[in-house]
Amino acid sequence: MIFEGSILLVDDEAHIRKFISLLLRHLGVTRILEASNGSEALAVYAREHPDLVMLDVNMPVMDGIETLRNLKQADPSAVVVMLTSLANRQTIDEAVALGAANYIRKDAPPEDIGRALAETIDACFESGDEPAPAP
Amino acid sequence: MDLPLITPSTDLKGKRILAVDDDRINLRIIGGILRHEGYEISEAASGEAALDLYPTFRPNLVLLDVMMPGIDGFTTCRTLKKTYGDQCAPVIFVTAKSEADDIVMGFDAGGVDYLTKPFRPKEVVARIRTHLINQLLAEQQKLLVSQLSKANADKDRFLGMCAHDLRNPLSSIRGLAELMVEDAIGTMTEEQRDIVQTIHGASQAMLQLVNELLDVATIEGGHMKLDRQPTSVREIVERSVYLSNMEAAKKESRIEMVAGDAAPPIVDVDRNKMRQVVDNIISNAIKYSPKGSVIQVSIHSNGTTAGFAVRDQGPGIPDTERHLLFKDFGRLSAKPTAGEKSTGLGLAICRKIIEAHRGSIGVENLPGGGAEFSVNVPLFK
Repeated sequence: MIFEGSILLVDDEAHIRKFISLLLRHLGVTRILEASNGSEALAVYAREHPDLVMLDVNMPVMDGIETLRNLKQADPSAVVVMLTSLANRQTIDEAVALGAANYIRKDAPPEDIGRALAETIDACFESGDEPAPAP
Repeated sequence: MDLPLITPSTDLKGKRILAVDDDRINLRIIGGILRHEGYEISEAASGEAALDLYPTFRPNLVLLDVMMPGIDGFTTCRTLKKTYGDQCAPVIFVTAKSEADDIVMGFDAGGVDYLTKPFRPKEVVARIRTHLINQLLAEQQKLLVSQLSKANADKDRFLGMCAHDLRNPLSSIRGLAELMVEDAIGTMTEEQRDIVQTIHGASQAMLQLVNELLDVATIEGGHMKLDRQPTSVREIVERSVYLSNMEAAKKESRIEMVAGDAAPPIVDVDRNKMRQVVDNIISNAIKYSPKGSVIQVSIHSNGTTAGFAVRDQGPGIPDTERHLLFKDFGRLSAKPTAGEKSTGLGLAICRKIIEAHRGSIGVENLPGGGAEFSVNVPLFK
């Protein structure tokens, strides 16, 4: 997978961030940002304008759905992939309705997570091109 | 849940009975009989007095004369039922022997039974006892139901904990170990690799067990929701064959699709759940067939149902173990041929998923050895 852009990884659990970020580095993503809750994610997003956000659903303070709503309000072109644990159809539908690009089960084996992420990147960015920098 | 066992001989001493009659002699007779039995009695000479007394005395049972000056027994009973609803004590009407219409009206007004004057003490005692016992049983049932729903809610919380606090860390451990084996953080020595592979294998097995236990709990708890959509059997089966071939390759086995129908059938299923069933049956075929086997997968359909079949080259299902195959924790004598893990839940979950779809799942031993698992689900109409 070739992705030159930056990815903001949002999850309240440190071990999940460690696992997904190692996986991303293994896949060749070098610019990885992390946030441990929704409001932190919004602050990092406003400051760094990452190209893609991987967003956990169940988080204290501000959950993933609320964060997604705020992110999309601030930047309708934000590319957001939801990270879910148990696939809850209702939550997924809600996230998609709010403009999430995809959802990935974080309990899936690394190759499945990598494949789903690559699919999203192919669908959301011109293949091979570097994602356009955020305004 | 330590509740006293209620039997016909349960001690009812101290139970409160409200006796309502405008005839003082009747009250004295009935009061005598009941006090002798150990009941606590309160007396009211009219329906109005009974309604006044009810909230402070809080009787366990009401004996209510029908014919009284002022409001009669039926009206009194209706008022009590309306005021206290489900919490109202059972009402037994007291009526003269000949008044058959009274009896019917009494039941209509919400009475549970009737006693006829003149009283026969043994009958009075027996009927009152029966209704007090019934009342106790009903109260105990209510208590049990509320305790059960609390226990069920506790179980759901526990499952939520399983889902979040066990699954997520386990999947991180598995994922990190897998990435380490792939040298994501640099090359390891053979010994390090061996250890990390052990961590990976153990966390993988635990994760599967936790997932399957969660599945069983969800299904048993009646929480399985099917999200049915028109779905191509071929698409689901081909995807699973493709993905499972990676697993099969580790055992030098392979899975092949056998040419089937020209028109691929469309079934009415929950895609994710159907995938889970296909994955599970194919994965079992790899697990229980010797290294280097060829597993054949085919698709079939008739006028009302369609499905798939998986032929393995394993030992087949012994007749004596057949009944265990689709049961929870029904592990058979056959062992996975490359030391793979089995929880004994996989096929039980498959059966429950297929049954929820009103489909069927079965197995036949093949004449030349091996077994064929076959699944059928309703066609999409």
